[in-house]
Amino acid sequence: MIRGIKELVDAELAGKERRYTWRKTPSQVTTAGLWYDLSMSPGRPVPKYWFDAPPAIAKQISYSADGGLEHGGGVSPSEKYLRLTTGIATVATALPLTMILCDYLLYYPSIDDSNLDEQPMDNTVTLPRYTDGEGVQAIAVSVAGRTGGAQFYFTYTNQDGVSGRVSETVTENSAAALGTIVTSSGATNSGGNPFIGLQDNDTGIRSIDSVFMLTADVGLFTLILVKPLGTSVIREITAPVEKDYFLEAGVIPRIYDDAYLSFLCLPQGTLAATALMGDIKTIFT
Amino acid sequence: MPGFASRDQIIQAQTNGQAFRSDWSKNMNPTAAAVANEWHTLFRGNGNPGPDAIFDAGANLTFQAVKDNTTSASSVQHGGNVQPTYYKYLLSGSAVSAAATAQPTVVTLIDVVGFYRVTTVTTTTAQATTNTLGQSDTFTADASTDVCTWTSTASIPSNVLTGTRVRLTTTVTLPAGLSLATDYYVIKVTDSTFKLATSYANAVAGTAINITDAGTGTHTASWLLPRYTNGAALNAMFFNPAATALGAATPNLSLGYTNSAQTGSRATPTVLPVGKTAASNSHIIYTGATGAGKYNYAVPRASGDSGIAQIDTIQNSTSYVSGSYTVALYKELARFPVTTLGVAAERDFLNQLPSLPRIYDGAALYFVIGSGAATPVNSAFSGHLDFIYN
Repeated sequence: MIRGIKELVDAELAGKERRYTWRKTPSQVTTAGLWYDLSMSPGRPVPKYWFDAPPAIAKQISYSADGGLEHGGGVSPSEKYLRLTTGIATVATALPLTMILCDYLLYYPSIDDSNLDEQPMDNTVTLPRYTDGEGVQAIAVSVAGRTGGAQFYFTYTNQDGVSGRVSETVTENSAAALGTIVTSSGATNSGGNPFIGLQDNDTGIRSIDSVFMLTADVGLFTLILVKPLGTSVIREITAPVEKDYFLEAGVIPRIYDDAYLSFLCLPQGTLAATALMGDIKTIFT
Repeated sequence: MPGFASRDQIIQAQTNGQAFRSDWSKNMNPTAAAVANEWHTLFRGNGNPGPDAIFDAGANLTFQAVKDNTTSASSVQHGGNVQPTYYKYLLSGSAVSAAATAQPTVVTLIDVVGFYRVTTVTTTTAQATTNTLGQSDTFTADASTDVCTWTSTASIPSNVLTGTRVRLTTTVTLPAGLSLATDYYVIKVTDSTFKLATSYANAVAGTAINITDAGTGTHTASWLLPRYTNGAALNAMFFNPAATALGAATPNLSLGYTNSAQTGSRATPTVLPVGKTAASNSHIIYTGATGAGKYNYAVPRASGDSGIAQIDTIQNSTSYVSGSYTVALYKELARFPVTTLGVAAERDFLNQLPSLPRIYDGAALYFVIGSGAATPVNSAFSGHLDFIYN
């Protein structure tokens, strides 16, 4: 635990920090105003495909198995924190670009848009980090295109271990770009957030129990449980965005050993023509 | 007490002329363009300072310390030595590129403390390095306080930090309580005094050896690294220092090393960095666009390690056939994200945390760049560094 500026400075002077560069070159023609997951985009770190495991069976996500942004090796029993991120875009088409850094925890691959029966999830494995589910959110990432307009909701176990909780009913968008967050349409869902709304008073998800399609469509999506860590915005191509979590946010998010880190982003145009790059700096005590 | 305790002291130091400005310009290496996502050194690029002539010279697998006054080092000037009267810091800096196709680029300032040149690139087993303790200065010991005092400054002993492993020699007899051919660990007391401990843990805890007499003759302590002497915050990188490309191969690259807690047998964790085939001059050879084993310019350290005190073995898992590579130990000091042609990336290190990176006497300052786009040969980078001391 870092409790003040002195401890932070001492940790950095002692070399307990690492800084890594990432660079992604999305190939998908993304839609303005729809959230997009950069995990499957080419570049460094290498793509992680969310359709690479059996459908509807929970699979844990980790740096050692799946990659993601480098953040240094394990430091236990010390603790690692996010100190700084930077971001640069080479083309203005998609800007301003809001980016949310997340720890990707668990995914339920390839849920079938055309199946109107209850689709129960196999939860043989559980969350590898944030194990009580506190602060854990769900995103639905497109892994096969759809017509759009279909609706679904899911039931889940919340942060207190209460099962049978019900998410908001969301409407899928029609974006063809794989990696698009299928529920992120401001026109049809509450606020166009990437995260699917939870039942009143819930603050997180421990597991997803079942998915219910209310109307059918073609296509597949993967539900991923993530822990949002921080947000920054690339506003223009002539200046990097830097987010100093200690100075600007007043809190340095914890990065657990073996965390899989990646970005959700909200482009204002296609990302296909741009390269995104930046740094992530971590610190440990 | 050297250093800055207030903004007033910074203003006073500037008024007193305790400052140095270094304007630099360096070109991307002259033989091959960088592919986006690659990192390259600017060591051999033309400009001011000029190309280095050290990183592809010297004995195979042998540690060579680097200082700003090392012949042909061609590091960025930062003014003369100021210790122990003053401490020097990086106050501000900038980087800009006049090459339109070179943006975005991350220009990174590093202090290279030393390197191992590897010419036996066809050997695929782990190759042991030679780590001669090449830094040494003389000292006297006070039996009443157990405090030793440096009596020479040739190797800048004010740089020696707590936890640094040293060995002792003497012209006659060492102080009682101390022995020849034995590892000791420094407890830094001041820039001119120190105590000795029998272990790293004792050094950190401040548990000193009881010295019962001053010995006779002239005593010398020797250590390996010229700066960051206990290894804290040091990382390693493999790069091609030669004018010719490495041979065709994609070996796994790994190190065996001693960490900054002076624990040996530490190893590069899996997945190991993978070298690029025919890596060009200046290329940090496991950086690149995609694929497993592509990393940032620092070699990953074992879990929990916060620095490298010395490299014990170096391995390329398959033959590189020809060429040579160098493994350097360095401390990163600052990054300048250059986004746009002609727009300088400026850094104010007074108002960022941790403020004012320390520039130790003898610092060998160089730049490496991370290419966000294909970077043509001879792409020009330039900028300035402002140093201040007090």
